Amino acid sequence: MMLVIVALTAIAVYLVQRIAMADVDVVLQQDFRSELSSLDRAEELRRESLTERCRSLVLNPRLHAALEDNALDLLYPSARDELRDLVQKDDQDANESGLRATFYRFLNLAASIIPPSDFTNVGELGQFESSQLVLRTLPTSPQNGYFLRSSSQGNTTLEEVIAVPVFSTETGEAISALIVGFKLSEPTTKGENSGIRRGIWVNDRLYLPGSDSATAEDLNRKISGALNGKASRSLPLEVGGQSYLLFYRLLNPVSSFPPAYQVCIYPLRNALARQRTLQWRIIGAGCSLLAFGFIASHFAARTLARPVEQLALESQTNLAERQRVEANLANTNQELKRSARFSANASHQLKNPVTVLRAGIESLLTREDFESPVYEELSSLLHQTYRLTGVIDDLLLLSRMDAGHLQIDFGSVNLSEVVNEWLDDFSALPNPMGLRMEKQLPPSLRIAGEKRYTRLIVQNLLENARKYNRPGGRIRIRVEEVNDNLLLIVGNTGAIIAVAEQQHLFERFYRGGASEKVTGHGLGLNLARDLALLHRGELFLIRSENDWTEFAVRFQLAGPGNNGTQIT
Amino acid sequence: MLACLFYLAVFPHAFGQATIDGTVALPKKRSAPVVTQRYEIVSKGGILSPNPPIAVVYLEGAFPTPTSPPTKQIAQKDLNFTPALLAVPVGTKVEFPNEDDTYHNIFSYSPAKRFDLGRYRPDERPIPSVVFDTPGLVTIRCDIHEHMRGLILVLSTPYFTTTDTNGHFRLNGLPPGRYSLKAWLNSKTTHERQIDLKSGEVLHVEFP
Repeated sequence: MMLVIVALTAIAVYLVQRIAMADVDVVLQQDFRSELSSLDRAEELRRESLTERCRSLVLNPRLHAALEDNALDLLYPSARDELRDLVQKDDQDANESGLRATFYRFLNLAASIIPPSDFTNVGELGQFESSQLVLRTLPTSPQNGYFLRSSSQGNTTLEEVIAVPVFSTETGEAISALIVGFKLSEPTTKGENSGIRRGIWVNDRLYLPGSDSATAEDLNRKISGALNGKASRSLPLEVGGQSYLLFYRLLNPVSSFPPAYQVCIYPLRNALARQRTLQWRIIGAGCSLLAFGFIASHFAARTLARPVEQLALESQTNLAERQRVEANLANTNQELKRSARFSANASHQLKNPVTVLRAGIESLLTREDFESPVYEELSSLLHQTYRLTGVIDDLLLLSRMDAGHLQIDFGSVNLSEVVNEWLDDFSALPNPMGLRMEKQLPPSLRIAGEKRYTRLIVQNLLENARKYNRPGGRIRIRVEEVNDNLLLIVGNTGAIIAVAEQQHLFERFYRGGASEKVTGHGLGLNLARDLALLHRGELFLIRSENDWTEFAVRFQLAGPGNNGTQIT
Repeated sequence: MLACLFYLAVFPHAFGQATIDGTVALPKKRSAPVVTQRYEIVSKGGILSPNPPIAVVYLEGAFPTPTSPPTKQIAQKDLNFTPALLAVPVGTKVEFPNEDDTYHNIFSYSPAKRFDLGRYRPDERPIPSVVFDTPGLVTIRCDIHEHMRGLILVLSTPYFTTTDTNGHFRLNGLPPGRYSLKAWLNSKTTHERQIDLKSGEVLHVEFP
């Protein structure tokens, strides 16, 4: 992956570099061209203004009079006044900017120079110079050219010449031409700063100011090979181990003078250095981009990975916790089973001694040789064995339920019958508190359940209502049908159950504050509630206030679906 | 005409003089009829000719030089010479009054007469003048207005006239004798006819 990214970045950097280099080349060429064209434009403007100046000069009536009226002796004197401002030398600035003429001459019909009678003010022109200015025919349009001027020191300089035809006002034909020489304008400082050097190629030689002879010679050779008749062209050039961009342009396309090319060379040294710098910058930028990318992606990955790691850690913790809880649950389950088994075993183990004990006491009671207090004591002991048996039965039942071994064999049970059975027993027993019984029961109430357990539930509730009653109190038994359910509501007068105690009411072996005077072992309600739950019902406290406590047990009404169904 | 009367008074032997009349075939008018009858000098093909075309007809011979011919004028008006063509005998003084509101600078480089009057304004006094003492055609120009062109034909004879625009001419008071009669049409064209004038004769000549 890393390698792929590095490779892709390298390719991108390479492409960017290629494009940038091409752009730089184009920009370079454009810069060069635009700079050159601005220089050329200035040059062109200068040449045009000079040409225009000459053109207006040759319209002068005196020149025409001298030429047309055969008064050549008056030609130069007439021109002198008109051309004075062009050739005057006191204006140094104008002289240097090439706007001042170095000489002027007229040509006759044979296109040779009309010699001036007086050489003052017409400029010097030696034999060497004059020979270069001979044209084949008189020009019919303004033309420009270049010629060599040899100075007294022996070196030669290049000068520009503009030839303007003089048309006869009588015949309309060219009757003469004015040729005016100008110094070449020096290259502007702007051109020097940018390294552009301009020269003139004329008569198979390059005149490039400020170049040493060896370079000039080399350039001379190279350029003569490069000039191949095209009017303008730009091409790269290698001279003296240095790279140049060469541009040449024909300066006088329509001229009787020898063709002259403007030659510009632009050293590429600086440009190449700039190019190299740019190249390294791009590579550097690519590398830093790559490095930055790596660092950034690393940080991003870390930031993104943190929640995932957290999640993994948490899930591990959760798993451990779950496993621990499951283990605990299994342990508890086992404990519960063990304890249930223990309770069952203990109950069984206890039942036998109690039976033996009871049998012993009953046999003692059958004897008649004891004193009367002994019988009372024995009766009390016998009663205690019955209580013990009840507790053991309850415990056995509860342990079976805890172990999940109790199965309700659902059938149709007549709840009224169950209640009436208990009421029969109640009426047969002594009623020391004088309790009044209120019963609102239909004769037949069919519920789903198993009779022995339903009886236990009902008995529990009714026993409690009797035991926790007050003297002269009452017990009310009624039923309510809600949908498929039947509510058996048992109310009794007597001490109420405190709110704080209500939540512990159904706990095993819990006995409220009111039960101190009452016999019991605190298993009854718990057992009844668990049994009600097994009957798909419930047992709950409705209210306990104002001398009235009311419990309700909900059973399912007996129906076709409930018969014979068993749950475990 | 004036010149003829003048000579009549000066030279009594001129009685019994001859007369020449005739026509010169003139070139066609170069442009549409002009509104103002004014002569201009036009140049075409290197030939200076008056427009509308007129001709100068003169008698050449060995005549005594007149002492002081009357002064003539060529005015500069509306940037033109008026008249554009003037024929004068040798020795005539020609004045060049400036009737424009601008400067003029009349000069001539012609071999017959070179002169340069310099720049002057309309109020220049005395009126700049030149005495033409050599026969020949003198082209006068203005140094300021390059298109202005005038012609002065300086003649060595007192007997000359200018045709009308139809080419008709009439020369009166001519001394009898054998002469050369010339008709100048333009700077390059002069017709010539040998004539023998008899006293009192009216000769009819058709050019060409």
